[in-house]
Amino acid sequence: MLTLLIFLPILFGFIIVVLPSSMRASFKYITLLATLLQLAISIYIYLNFKTGVAFGGIDHETQFQFLQKLPWIHLNLGSLGTMQIDYFVGIDGISVTLLLMTSIVMVVAALSSWEITSNLKGFFALFLLLDMALIGVFCSLDFFLFYIFYELMLLPLYFLIGMWGGARREYAAIKFFLYTLFGSVFMLLVMIGLYLSVKDPATGNHTFNMIQMMNPANYTPGSIFNILSHQTIFGISARTVGFVVLFVAFAIKVPVVPLHTWLPDAHVEAPTPVSIILAGILLKIGGYGIIRICIGIFPEVATSGAFWLGLLGVISILYGAFNALAQRDFKRIIAYSSVSQMGFVLLGIASQTTEGISGAVFQMVSHGFLSAMLFFLVGVVYNRVHDRDIYNFRGLGTLMPKYMVFIMIAFFASLGLPGFSTFIAEAFSLTGAFKSALLPNWLAICGAVGILFSACYFLWTLQRMFFGSVSLKGGDTWRAALVDLKPREIIALIPLALTALALGVMPSLVFDKINDSVLALVSFTKTFIR
Amino acid sequence: MNTSIPYQDISVVYYALAAVAMPLIAFLINVCLPGKTNKVSGWMSTLGIFTSAVLSALVFAKIWGQQPLHIQQLWFTIGASKLYAGVLLNNLSVILLLLVNLIALPVHIYSTAYMSHDAGYKRYFTYLSFFCFSMLALVVVDSMYLFYAFWELVGFSSYLLIGFWFTKDKAVYANKKAFIINRIGDIGLLVAIIILFTQFHTADIVQLFGDNGLVAQSFIKNGIWIAPASQLPAVYQYIACAGIMLAVAAKSAQFPLHTWLPDAMEGPTSVSALIHAATMVAAGVFLLGRVYPIFNTAELNALAVIGCFTAFMAATIALTQNDLKRILAYSTISQLGFMIMAMGIGAYASSLFHLVTHAFFKCLLFLVAGIVIHQMQHIKEENNLDIDPQNILYMGGLRKKLPFTFITAIVASLALIGLPLTSGYLSKDGILIQAFEWSDGKSCYYRMIPVGAIIASILTAFYIGRLIVKVFFGEFRLQKINPHIHIHCNDGGWQFKLPLLFLTICCLFPLFSWNPLVYEHAWIFSAFSGPGFLERINIYHTIIPAGANLVNILVIYLAYSIYVKRNTFTFDQTGFFFRLSYNEWYIDRFYNSAIVKPILSLSNASSWVDKNIIDGFINLLKNIVLSISKITAWIDKYIIDGFLHLLTAIVQLIGNFARNFQSGKIQYYLFSMLAVILALFILKTLI
Repeated sequence: MLTLLIFLPILFGFIIVVLPSSMRASFKYITLLATLLQLAISIYIYLNFKTGVAFGGIDHETQFQFLQKLPWIHLNLGSLGTMQIDYFVGIDGISVTLLLMTSIVMVVAALSSWEITSNLKGFFALFLLLDMALIGVFCSLDFFLFYIFYELMLLPLYFLIGMWGGARREYAAIKFFLYTLFGSVFMLLVMIGLYLSVKDPATGNHTFNMIQMMNPANYTPGSIFNILSHQTIFGISARTVGFVVLFVAFAIKVPVVPLHTWLPDAHVEAPTPVSIILAGILLKIGGYGIIRICIGIFPEVATSGAFWLGLLGVISILYGAFNALAQRDFKRIIAYSSVSQMGFVLLGIASQTTEGISGAVFQMVSHGFLSAMLFFLVGVVYNRVHDRDIYNFRGLGTLMPKYMVFIMIAFFASLGLPGFSTFIAEAFSLTGAFKSALLPNWLAICGAVGILFSACYFLWTLQRMFFGSVSLKGGDTWRAALVDLKPREIIALIPLALTALALGVMPSLVFDKINDSVLALVSFTKTFIR
Repeated sequence: MNTSIPYQDISVVYYALAAVAMPLIAFLINVCLPGKTNKVSGWMSTLGIFTSAVLSALVFAKIWGQQPLHIQQLWFTIGASKLYAGVLLNNLSVILLLLVNLIALPVHIYSTAYMSHDAGYKRYFTYLSFFCFSMLALVVVDSMYLFYAFWELVGFSSYLLIGFWFTKDKAVYANKKAFIINRIGDIGLLVAIIILFTQFHTADIVQLFGDNGLVAQSFIKNGIWIAPASQLPAVYQYIACAGIMLAVAAKSAQFPLHTWLPDAMEGPTSVSALIHAATMVAAGVFLLGRVYPIFNTAELNALAVIGCFTAFMAATIALTQNDLKRILAYSTISQLGFMIMAMGIGAYASSLFHLVTHAFFKCLLFLVAGIVIHQMQHIKEENNLDIDPQNILYMGGLRKKLPFTFITAIVASLALIGLPLTSGYLSKDGILIQAFEWSDGKSCYYRMIPVGAIIASILTAFYIGRLIVKVFFGEFRLQKINPHIHIHCNDGGWQFKLPLLFLTICCLFPLFSWNPLVYEHAWIFSAFSGPGFLERINIYHTIIPAGANLVNILVIYLAYSIYVKRNTFTFDQTGFFFRLSYNEWYIDRFYNSAIVKPILSLSNASSWVDKNIIDGFINLLKNIVLSISKITAWIDKYIIDGFLHLLTAIVQLIGNFARNFQSGKIQYYLFSMLAVILALFILKTLI
């Protein structure tokens, strides 16, 4: 099932590549069809996902669902043993909601790709390749496979930003590429280190199996990442180094201040569908990686370093919010607000309490929908007049009343109005952070202040750009260009708004699925606290 | 999980839920209605609130004075903790449920006429219904998390309604300010909830604050706050209380977070009447009523000080304002201060009693103001004048033109002042008397609270006297300035008169007590205070009402004589106190320069850091990498390649040298042969 989900997009991508360019008008429908099929499969998976203590997942391979494990690369290296890389996919509670969220956001991204006019074949082929990589990351349980999908994401993104982006697109694309490559190259080293340290108890081979990496008993005695061998790298405990390297790689994705500056540039230059994917899904891979890999494989380091993680989270919350307050580009504000909101994810994860981690996962899901919605909305104005400077607009609410409704929903949902998903996520991330024995209590209180500033920048934007009497920099040309939302746009926005509302009123839609995994994760990390 | 008494009638809960849901249904219908000025929307909302009022009256009749009813259901599970959502109906919630409906119903009827010419008629009623839904839900929910949710939703609907005329810049500033200041309070509440949840592992209001609930069982010992299940440092008890106080201060517009309320008057007047006078701003007092057991003596004293100071400060500001609605806004702040102070001094019952009476008379005053402003607006439009229709300096003598409105305004003002036979007398004098009783036997600093309250109450008599006199007595000053203007004034249709009449009746004593002079006999008071409060233990009960009312009447006469007869004296308009009051104690300006500006510069600074330091560092790295690559390129080009070029050059040189010998000329060949032979010969002879 998961295999179908992962490789379905690439199948359609192949069709697009093979079709002659004269059929370019059909490409967007093919892509939409692919994403819709994918959504259908995801919904099927979500509905059939079993819950209960026996399906916790995390460090128990048998508790994962929709498992598929095929030997992939088994090289006999003579005296060095056998190299064992498996095609190993499966999901637990942490991944299932993110998977569904990804599928929904991809449909919206596909719908917003309507605006792309040049080189359609290339765009949609890369789009579907990216789609495959994203789903693959959330499903893979073999570190090698994970890494391949993880790197595979970069390539299409680089081209999507670099070729279809705005004025400074090359700069942004290179910056994005180097940032993330910087993270992943070192990740490769840690991955190899882990491979050399861990042996599959069944076959006796070294393995990339992530779940086996979570069990300290599988580490070869004396190997570099064995807890008991206390190996050091540059005088620092090897496991700490491993954790930090992996954390940095994922923190770049989240992004955590101070590793965030690729994000505003990439967002500002990227075309709307790519912004949606970037903010909606890509950032979640960072959070997902921290939960699954950093905490899963190095739980004792995560526990002892929890304060620093939490501090970085709070810094991201406040710093992102302050920066958003100072921007005048509509898209940059949203980009910085992403930094701020993803800070809650890190804070929640750092707390290592059930409330905190549930809140963090919930925030990832919620932010996936809302940031997609926000970037879509920014794209609406930008497409019409090719300007995003907040000072150039005034009174858009009078001009575009339907648009205004969605702007209000998206803004207030993002700033944590109860009834929408962000409120639940933020409230429980903070509750978890306060409850946590690992974090000082003032961290949670500082985090709560972030909620105030998110209100400030969103309300300021509303007041400056949407309220007041109509006055536009472009005069009557702009006034004519700024027509209200078209049906396609409304169709894309309504599911996002409704999901945000549904999650806010019935958080159990997410919590029911993730609870067992979160409990398993927390009890798993607890065993490492000494 | 059902924690209620088993013999009770569960159907009451369904009535309550239906009462909450009716405005929501009206809201949803209104959202779907076509057209911007669809008149159906007004009747939908009114019908919704009417049904809701009937239902809540039923609920009230069944619950008031009976056992509280508490029903809950699992909302969701997060990790191991279960969160419940439910309904808690006790005296406090049912009286507010009824009150909100009784205020909202006349306001709805009034609005159908008041907003009838507005281009956003449907939007108005949509928002209004949404507000009613959130407010009604707020008073019945049983979980702190849900309470927070609706707490913020009422703030949000207030945001929408303040900025109802969103093309007006002032309105948009005002709603932003209101929301952000309320957000500050929300954070306080959220932090308090998080602390309570951590400490007691539940967010259930009954379990936390019920009789002998978890909060009552917890205590502070040796700097540790000990609860049945866990413990925290004592400082978190103080932070939790401070958070709640912050929330109360923001929502109920108490110092230092009161500044949003006067600005909120940019919204339609009917909204001000409902939200910013009677219901939403009272939510802070309601919150105090809900979480009362958490406060210890010191914290209650702090509440009393905040309330008393606010009551006094707002009353002084109201003295000099010229905007009709702003005066009433400050009056609201001042009266809310009385309620908060009453909570602080332990006059729990009187505080809630005052909440109820205040809701009626203040709502009435605002509706009166709405009519007056409406008439002024008509005059302004009819005669193309450039005036502010809310400025009381242009008004005067309206009692002849709006006789019905005038009478209701008088009744409401007397209730606000607290003269006998009105409801305000019963509730306010109760607070004053208990304030004196409370300060008895304490040090003289505590005396300042009742004294401050008395002063504030006397100032109240003056500013409301000034308002009434300037608006309704004397001669019409606008006509005096422009003698030629046309004036068509009337009290308006039944949509105006009926609500006013209803509220006027509610301002009088019979609704609350058969005895117009003794507050202890009021049924709301006795229900909240329990038995044993009926003894009039000391002389305060006689002196204070008598004295205060005597002074009040004198003050009203003073205001009358100053502003109508103008025969005594006029106030100095340049003195320090006048300017302090006129400029609202400079609090807004102080906030702007001391808080808003630094935050904006901080945000600019962080943006600068982002651009120059973090990105600068990245660019530096980039430049370093670039220079290294340039150096390697240079090395590649000049050293490694240079070596190769050198080699080729040498080979070329040798080749060229050798080529010289093979030029194809026979004499060169002969010469070279000879030279070689010669060389061989020489070598041979030498060796």
